[in-house]
Amino acid sequence: MNLQELAQIFAVIRLELGKTFFSRRVTWVYVLAFAPVFLYIANSIYAPRQQARLAAIAVRHPVSTEALRDIGIGSKLEEVTNQLGQPYQQRSGRYRAEGGSPNERASYRYTDGQSDVTLFFVNGTVRRVHWDDPETLPKVSLIFATIFQFFYLRLAIFFGCVGIFANLFRGEMLDKSLHFYLLTPMRREVLLAGKYLSGLLAAVVIFTASTALQWVAMLWQFKGPVVVAFLAGHGWGQLLSYLGITALACAGYGAVFLAAGLLFRNPVVPAAVVLLWESANLFLPAALKKISVIFYLQSLCPVVAAPGNTMPARLARLISDAVPATTIVALGCLVTFTLLMIAYSALRVRQLENNYSTD
Amino acid sequence: MNDGDISFDNVSRFYGEVLGVNRVTLSIPPGITSLVGTNGSGKTTLMNLMTGLVRPSRGVVRVLGMAPSESQKLFRQVGYSTQFDSFPRGLTGYQLVHSFLRFFGYSSVECTQLAAKAIEQVHLTEAADRQVASYSKGMRQRIKLAQAIAHNPKVLVLDEPLNGLDPLIRAETIALFRKFAAEGRHVIVSSHVLHEVDLISDQVIMLSSGYVVAEGQIHSLRSEIQEHPMQILIRCDSPGVLASRAFEQDHVVEAQLLADGTGLLVKTRDADKFYRLLNHLALDGIQIEGVAPADDNVDSVYEYLIGEEASK
Repeated sequence: MNLQELAQIFAVIRLELGKTFFSRRVTWVYVLAFAPVFLYIANSIYAPRQQARLAAIAVRHPVSTEALRDIGIGSKLEEVTNQLGQPYQQRSGRYRAEGGSPNERASYRYTDGQSDVTLFFVNGTVRRVHWDDPETLPKVSLIFATIFQFFYLRLAIFFGCVGIFANLFRGEMLDKSLHFYLLTPMRREVLLAGKYLSGLLAAVVIFTASTALQWVAMLWQFKGPVVVAFLAGHGWGQLLSYLGITALACAGYGAVFLAAGLLFRNPVVPAAVVLLWESANLFLPAALKKISVIFYLQSLCPVVAAPGNTMPARLARLISDAVPATTIVALGCLVTFTLLMIAYSALRVRQLENNYSTD
Repeated sequence: MNDGDISFDNVSRFYGEVLGVNRVTLSIPPGITSLVGTNGSGKTTLMNLMTGLVRPSRGVVRVLGMAPSESQKLFRQVGYSTQFDSFPRGLTGYQLVHSFLRFFGYSSVECTQLAAKAIEQVHLTEAADRQVASYSKGMRQRIKLAQAIAHNPKVLVLDEPLNGLDPLIRAETIALFRKFAAEGRHVIVSSHVLHEVDLISDQVIMLSSGYVVAEGQIHSLRSEIQEHPMQILIRCDSPGVLASRAFEQDHVVEAQLLADGTGLLVKTRDADKFYRLLNHLALDGIQIEGVAPADDNVDSVYEYLIGEEASK
C-alpha cells in the first residue's frame, strides 16, 4: 500500500462517514445502541425512590431483617403473621388446578427498609420466598455484565453491525450509486479497506459511546465516594475492558457482515443464520462454542455473567459450560477471524460487477 | 488494432441465460463513435465492458492497451458518464466532482481548479453549490459529464449523454464532444436520437439483440447496403429531362418527379456513377440547383439494417 492508496482510503472514509452517521437507514442502529442507556437512567431514577419508599414503609410496618430471615419454605401463615405482623401489602385468591382441588394462594410483602421480601403461600404454607435486595455496586455491575453479554453484544451490536456493514456495498448497489467509486483509479481492495474502516469507525463511535454512557448511567444512583472507591478498585479496568470488547465486537461482526453484504443480495438471511448460531452458543458443546465470535468476546468480559439465573430452570439445565479462552487466545482468535473475513471480502470485491439491473 | 484504440476481440457477455453482447470484434479509433441500437441491444453492456464494470464471459477487451480490470491505470485515461442518476448523498455538484478528483491523487488546490473548470465546461457554475439531489434531469446529466471530463481523460464514454438537455445546452454539449474529438480523444456516445448521432458521429456502431450489425462511417455503411438503392434528391429546372436521361443508365432503378415540379428523387445502385452523370448533364445545360443524398444518414441505415431485422 502506498501513500496514494492511503489518501484514497481517507477519501473513502470522508465520504462514507457522513453517509453512515446521518443516513436514515441507520436510525434504528442508534435506537438499538442507546436503548440500554435509557434503561440504566430509568433504573438509576427508580432505585433510590424505591429505597426511600421501602424505608418509609418500614417505619409504618417495622420488621427486622433477622425475623425475615427466620421465615422459610414450609412456614405457616399464622407463624408468619405472629412473627412479622401484618404485611404492608397482601394479595390472595383461589385457584383450581386442572382436575384438582382448589388452592388458596396468597402473597405477603414485608420490608426491613432495605430489602423487599415477598412470601408466596399455597393453602397457608410458604412455598417460595423472594428477596429483592437493595442495589449495590457489585449487584449492579453483575446486572451490567449480564445485559452487556446477553443483550448488548448478542443483539444490539450484532444487529447494529448488520445495519452498518451489510449496507456498505449492498446499500449502494440498491441506491445505484456504487459506480461513483468503481469509476475512480482505485483498487477494489483499497475501496474495501476504506469502506470497512469507515463502518468500523462509525460502529465503534456509536457503540463505545453507548457503553460508556450506560456505565455512567449505571453509577449515577450511587453516592460519590462509593463510585470513586469502585472506580479506583476494578471500575476503570472493567470500563476499559467493556469498551475494548465493544470495539472488538464491532470489528468481528463488522467483518462478517461486510462479507455477507458482498455475498448475499439479502443480508437478512445470513444475519439470521449467524444470530441463530451465536445464540445457540450457550447450549453448544465446548468444542463448537469456540467456533463463534461471542465465545471469545465473553471470554474477555471482566465480570462473569450467569445466564442460568435469568432463564427458566429447564432451559438453564441445557447450558453447557466451557472454560473461557485466555485473553491472548481470545484476542488472537478474534483478530485472526476478522482478518480472514476481510481477506475473503477482498477476493469477493475483486469479482464484483457493477450491474444494477441484475440486483 | 493498435494500442491507441479500444478493441473488442470476440467478446461475449451473458447475464445468466440472457445475452448481453455476443462475439463482438471491434476496433474503435479516436473521434466520436456512436453506439446505436434499441433498448436491450447491448449498448450499455459494451460501455460497461470497456470500463470494467462488467467482465466479459468470453473474449478480450483492451482500452488504449490496458485491460479494463486495471482500474488504477484505466480510470486515469477514461471518464465514464453512466446512465444512472444516483450520486453519493448529501453532496453539492461541486463537492461531487471535487470528491471524485480526490481519488486521483490531486492536491486539494488542484481538485478545486479542475472541478471548477469541468463544471464551467458544462455550464453549471451557478448551480455548483446546490445539492445534486435538487438538480433537474438535464443538470444531472451535465454534472455527470463534468465528473467524467474533470480529470482530462483520453477516452470519454457517455451513456445517453444528451437525454434531458434543452436544445441550447444540447448544442453546447455536442460542441464539447467535437472539441474533445478534435484533440484526438475517443468519445463514445450511446444515443437513441438518430438525427443527433448523424450530426455528431465520425463513425457508428449499430447493435441489435447483442450483435454488432454494422460499424464504420455512415456513408460507407450506406453504400454497402446493396438491397436498398441510394436515394438522391435533385433540384433542377428540367426534372423531366433529367429523369429520362437517368433512366438510360442501368444503375438507376427509379426516378420520381416531385409534386411541386422543382426536382426529382432518383434511386440508384451506384451513387458515384450517378454523380458523374449529373456533372455531364450540368455541362449539357440543365440547371442543377441542389443535390443531396436522401437516405445517406443514420436514420436510414438504422432502418435498413435494424428496422428490417426487428420486423422479421
